[in-house]
Amino acid sequence: MVNEGGGIRAQGVRRAFGIVQAVADVDLVAEPGRVTALIGPNGSGKTTLLLMLAGLLQPDAGSIRIGGFDPVTESYAARSRTGWMPDVFGTWDSLTAREVLTTVAAAYRMDPAAGEARAAELLTLVHLGDLADAPAHVLSRGQKQRLGLARALVHDPEVLLLDEPASGLDPRSRVDLRILVRQLAASGKTVLVSSHVLTELDEMADDAVFISGGRTVATQSVTGATGEAREWRVTALDPAVLTTWLDGAGLTYRTEDGGAVVVRLAGDAAAATLLRDAITADVPVVSLAPAGGVLEQAYLALEEERR
Amino acid sequence: MNVETARGTWSVTWHGLRTVALLELRQRLRSTRWKVALTVWFVAVGGITALTSGALPLYGGGDDAGGMIYTIVVFFVLFLGLLVAPALTAASINGDRNAGTLATLQVTLLTPAEIVFGKLLAAWAAALAFLVVSVPFIVWALLEGGVEPFSIVTTMLMLALVLGVVCAIGLGFSALVSKSSASAVLTYLTIGTLTAVLPVVFGLLVPLTTTQDEVRVWAVPHGFDWAVDERPPECEWRTETEHVWHSERTWWLLAPNPFVVVADAQPLGDPDDQGSPPSGLKDLQYGVRYARTGPSLEMDYCGGLDRAPSPVEEVEPTDAMVWPWGLGLQLLLAGGGVVVAVNRLRIPQRVLPQGTRVA
Repeated sequence: MVNEGGGIRAQGVRRAFGIVQAVADVDLVAEPGRVTALIGPNGSGKTTLLLMLAGLLQPDAGSIRIGGFDPVTESYAARSRTGWMPDVFGTWDSLTAREVLTTVAAAYRMDPAAGEARAAELLTLVHLGDLADAPAHVLSRGQKQRLGLARALVHDPEVLLLDEPASGLDPRSRVDLRILVRQLAASGKTVLVSSHVLTELDEMADDAVFISGGRTVATQSVTGATGEAREWRVTALDPAVLTTWLDGAGLTYRTEDGGAVVVRLAGDAAAATLLRDAITADVPVVSLAPAGGVLEQAYLALEEERR
Repeated sequence: MNVETARGTWSVTWHGLRTVALLELRQRLRSTRWKVALTVWFVAVGGITALTSGALPLYGGGDDAGGMIYTIVVFFVLFLGLLVAPALTAASINGDRNAGTLATLQVTLLTPAEIVFGKLLAAWAAALAFLVVSVPFIVWALLEGGVEPFSIVTTMLMLALVLGVVCAIGLGFSALVSKSSASAVLTYLTIGTLTAVLPVVFGLLVPLTTTQDEVRVWAVPHGFDWAVDERPPECEWRTETEHVWHSERTWWLLAPNPFVVVADAQPLGDPDDQGSPPSGLKDLQYGVRYARTGPSLEMDYCGGLDRAPSPVEEVEPTDAMVWPWGLGLQLLLAGGGVVVAVNRLRIPQRVLPQGTRVA
């Protein structure tokens, strides 16, 4: 499944609009079978980057490969392998949800019968079966978002570019989205997801690429983060007992409102050790959990470095 | 999914064309404004036809009013068509871009040419719907008599082509500028230039195209004394210097005018046929054909006073067809619009038009 040509490979990608350098230098690798999160503050160039990956915008410099094809010189081949879900979702208002999908299927040169079948399948997948024949303009924002996701999947692309797919979704739909994205990755697709909602990406992504000011500032493996130093939150029935014990053990910590204590630990093993030692010392520990997601911590750490 | 050989920008398939045209038509047909517009059109053209055929015979002319009724109805349909057609396409690319639906089509396997021609096809079909609604009234006008029945074929064909041209020009502007209102204005300006500005320029150029030329005239001899001589004069050839208007140098300014194209494409009647009823279409047709033929360098000043028949040949406008040139120029503009639109829809985009975003 994993070959050198597969997935998304972007190197030294730059793009300016007039004097604004939207993307200054981005390196990004998204492997097939994995979900890669694209993380960055507003205006960091995420959408511009996705437009270039989708083959809509030409980079000023750098190289891009989508499933081994260059979206600039081999646009047709790259397009046939890319499913793109834009952040601002426009829709053909007078068409029904089903017609939107069959139209897109026809636009991908699928024959009508296959298009019909695929549309029905996708409508069920994104839970729009009831609204299949309602005009698209009656759909709510979240429903339109789900239709947009279905639209990106019509031609069963091997690379998926999802720009803020979770915005406007209710909690149930978010869970569905997460499951769907994991399924797609499990079937060997390359998925690149951009979002601000980091806790969500935590549960969805395997890898993360952080961009800021149009540059790649870090790449990180989410699943490999168990061995990395991060902050853990500890609560106890009696916070005073906990802090006294921590002082005695020589650990640095900070206290939060409500009596919780945040300690920085080297990894999961260190957390297990801390918990065992605390219980052995009769500290009435109620909970021990990572403080915030892996991505959130990494993101905040990067923010701090930039200050 | 079809994994096949790459298609170029200009590759067009029936499947792709149909997909885009169907999408466009569905978008349009489901809006109620569409039905309202067709109804208003029907009432307007019907009203004009009824008023014209009711009023014209009263101004004298009697049974001869047919030609004028036909002229007025056809020109009114063309006039309304020129007003409506830009609205059908002037927003079809920048409007989609602003609504965020253009990029969704561009990333599919449709080629830019398929998107443009599909949109053009749909807009043209919509324009033709207005034309079809007008057919009963054009037939009605035809039945008033005075017009060769075959005229309806050339008239409808030219009306259809002219509306298609306007749609294509609108499409080009809609790809070129980001605001739908701006592309509509530019399209109207282009149509206005063809319809009004160029004929005015033609008129203003008359002094510049009028020169002092030597002309052979067939005239009454000098010194012929009408009082003395009882017999009619014996005319003779003479060379004189006259002001001559060389309309053959500027006639092409009139050619791309939509009204000229429609008028000139009808079958040419016999100009000497005094029995043929008056018709604006005919007058315009002769006007532009004489303009293209230009002045004769031999003139008859004898005016039939001669004893012998005049040797001066009549100017024959029959072969000097204007409409192929006019239509050709219009098709060139339409082609330009299509080329601009296709080039603007190429992805990945290198340069973005001012004030636009990709998606």
